[in-house]
Amino acid sequence: MNSKKITLLIVAIAALFAFPLLIDNPYYIHLVETILIYAILLFGLDIVVGYTGQVSLGHAGLFGVGSYTAGVLFFKLGMPFWVTVPASIAVTAVFGGLLALPALKVVGPYLAMVTLAFGTILQILINEMTFLTEGPLGIKIHKPTVMDVELTEVQYYWVVCALLLASLVVVHRILKSHLGRAFEALRDSPIACDCMGVSVYRYKVYAFVISAGFAGLAGCLYSYSEQYISPNTYNNELTILFLLAIIMGGRKSRMGALLGSTIIVMLPKLLDDISLFRMVAITLAAAMLIGSAVSIAKKLSTPQKLAVPVAGTVGLAIFSMWLENITDWRLSIFGFMILLVVYYLQNGIVGFVKSYYASLVGKSGQSSRQALSSSITAASEESIIKAVGNQQKTGDLLNVQTVLMQFGGLKALNQVNLNIKRGTIHGLIGPNGSGKSTMMNVLTGIYKPTAGNVLYAGNSITGKTSSEIALSGIARTFQNVQLFGEMTALENILVGLHHTFKSNLLDVSLHLPSYTNEENEARSRAMGLLKFVGLDELADEEARNLPYGKQRLLEIARALALDPELLLLDEPAAGLTAPDIKELLAIIRKIRDHGVTFILIEHHMDVVMSVCDTVSVLDFGQKIAEGKPAEIQSNEQVIHAYLGTV
Amino acid sequence: MEILVQLIFSGIAIGMIYAVIAFGYQLTFATSGTLNFGQGEALMLGALVGLTCVDTFGMNYWLMIPIVCVFGLIQGSLVEVVGVRPAIKIKSEFGWIMSTIALGIIFKNVAENIWGRDDLRFPSPLDDDPMQFFGANILPMEVVVVAGALGMMLLVEFFNRKTIYGKAVVATSNDRDAASLMGINTRVVIMFSYALSSLTAAFAGVLVAPLTLTGATMGASLGLKAFAVAIIGGLTSGLGIIVGGMILGITETMTGFYISTGYKDVPGLLLLLLVLALKPSGLFGKSAIKKV
Repeated sequence: MNSKKITLLIVAIAALFAFPLLIDNPYYIHLVETILIYAILLFGLDIVVGYTGQVSLGHAGLFGVGSYTAGVLFFKLGMPFWVTVPASIAVTAVFGGLLALPALKVVGPYLAMVTLAFGTILQILINEMTFLTEGPLGIKIHKPTVMDVELTEVQYYWVVCALLLASLVVVHRILKSHLGRAFEALRDSPIACDCMGVSVYRYKVYAFVISAGFAGLAGCLYSYSEQYISPNTYNNELTILFLLAIIMGGRKSRMGALLGSTIIVMLPKLLDDISLFRMVAITLAAAMLIGSAVSIAKKLSTPQKLAVPVAGTVGLAIFSMWLENITDWRLSIFGFMILLVVYYLQNGIVGFVKSYYASLVGKSGQSSRQALSSSITAASEESIIKAVGNQQKTGDLLNVQTVLMQFGGLKALNQVNLNIKRGTIHGLIGPNGSGKSTMMNVLTGIYKPTAGNVLYAGNSITGKTSSEIALSGIARTFQNVQLFGEMTALENILVGLHHTFKSNLLDVSLHLPSYTNEENEARSRAMGLLKFVGLDELADEEARNLPYGKQRLLEIARALALDPELLLLDEPAAGLTAPDIKELLAIIRKIRDHGVTFILIEHHMDVVMSVCDTVSVLDFGQKIAEGKPAEIQSNEQVIHAYLGTV
Repeated sequence: MEILVQLIFSGIAIGMIYAVIAFGYQLTFATSGTLNFGQGEALMLGALVGLTCVDTFGMNYWLMIPIVCVFGLIQGSLVEVVGVRPAIKIKSEFGWIMSTIALGIIFKNVAENIWGRDDLRFPSPLDDDPMQFFGANILPMEVVVVAGALGMMLLVEFFNRKTIYGKAVVATSNDRDAASLMGINTRVVIMFSYALSSLTAAFAGVLVAPLTLTGATMGASLGLKAFAVAIIGGLTSGLGIIVGGMILGITETMTGFYISTGYKDVPGLLLLLLVLALKPSGLFGKSAIKKV
């Protein structure tokens, strides 16, 4: 961070704290306080929505749990503020876990509906459990007391400010750590994430629990701020409002969360006043018209693209003139805004401003990022590939024993046996649909074999999850590249290095040395790995922007980060040019020299013949031949399988 | 014993309504892999439009049904064009979830402004005198609901299986890209599936309205519970939603009677969470094989 940014940040924080001194109106102080409280919740919601890419419609319910934990503890037991705050966070986090455990087995629309159902249940429970929550009557709460003196509105405002800043720092640190990277990775490619030893399910639950913790904190602060809570506050409308705030402000951005929370707090106030609303609507329409005119003149966009948003804003302005009573149409306006934001402002205001600024200035955001990785010194080749060091040890690393994989009536693998010797490159070939990729998926736990057993280093791995198998030392690449597209090349490798992190949430939030050491070590190793495959120059490029050949190399480097003993490569040469293939072969040989064992699926026969020690041939799910490459080449059955009867 | 029979029968009646709405979810999910989160609002609009036809224009209940069905077709097409099509184009799951929710909010708000916030009584087209059945009192309207719901689903299934247009729907649901390459206009098919889905919802609305009250807020919980039914039964199984609907309907009337009406909605939603935790593809659904 440069000094200009730091000064700006300090000024902003000072302004935040000084606000009540400058404006003495309790109404405005309370308004800003509400914005800050919602922002805390939105920081948490952004972890789920922005980073892991899940839609949660249950956050109003979780917010309610936080509020009512504080309310009930205060009302029934007279607990002080410093007890209710951690209690609210803990209780809500538990509820978040309860929601996540069943819900996160499903994705997308299912998850959205389930979280909606969960939110509805919570609202019903708050309403009906009158013995605990006083039901529809609600609960009255005083402001927290310090040494028997109740805090004033302004003093409480400062408390909220301080907690907001603390949340900001904690959220930021979590998201920049290995936890945040895991969250982003599981959204981009869940399967690759599991195969990198990062359990998708577990980290989704983590994300929900952490997110719920922030919702709990926000809920607790909210009940002290309002001094009265009742079940009706925590309805589905509020949930939608939170989501609107996230997408409108901008996902994956703390600034966006603050902006979004300002919008959703101010919007209802704005909608109370019809003349003010008319003014804003007309200004918005005018701004949109001018903005589009400029964009079209500068050829940044086409009239067709801008027609709908312009018509929308102009329509809104006309609608506002026709209306007499705006309050009744509040929800329609929210709905309308969601539609507009979802399709025309997908990256939110923050994202829009960033990209607009970039297109005006004419440079992308890469330059500032470049500085990041240049400061990292790459670790040496010796230390990045943890030498397996047991080359002398002979015998089999992997035994596949009569594995049967059946999909309905189709036997994709039929009683296949494979024995892979340590330190060798074992080729697996066969015509399309012969079961090679199915074998990979069985070996990495993506499929559970119908019958048979797989022994890895003497232990059975059948029935273990993908991430357990990955952590025990089997890494893989994918036939159709599965990189974490929106993350940089360096970050992709860092996800592979996830297993080297031992720090917990506390270490990360406080930046304890144990965590910072791990992070630095991982970064230098990641850089070393990139250098090993010749991608160190592209460390800060987003993976999806890399050329295809480089993506394949990056996948191999990421797999190496797992410190594998066995590396499965699924058609690594597919789609590569001749020079790329040469480079690939050199890299494979170098890795083999470090003692890593390979299984290589490949269609390029020259690749197979030049590097493999042993080759097995599959056809229609059965192993039809096995032996040295030269033997396979002249095997009658193999020729028959590939070319048919001659 | 009489009470039990009666509870079971009203449970079946309400369960059939859930099944019809869930059927609507299945229709759109099959063709486009998307759902209308405003399905409950489609039902609510159908019921309120029906009420206006009957009350204001003095129309006969049975004559009003086709009008409501046409209204449903139009409303569903609108949802597809405004909310779903742009999302399918940019392949954004978040997009269609949020936009169908937003449209649902708008429909609800518009309904509030037209018909008011209070619940309205829908005049029953049949006798309000209950019939005797194994000693239990059963309303004639409940029988109509069950028959109407089953009839509607059978009709749509018949259409899908026996007509050439139905074949286009089935082809699209099996493989959208392949269907499109075979010259089927999949965009129209998807739009049609939304129209059909809102039609069934609107139809369910006028069926259920005489049994309950009608109002702008009636849709939300019905839509959510119908989703629970779709999940419990499986999003791909026709039999599943009928069984799921009955399970949910009966548990609900039982809870309402034996525990408290306030908790009426809870068991269904808990059942939903439970099914998802244990068998995410539903009781009757097939689990998909993930491809790598």
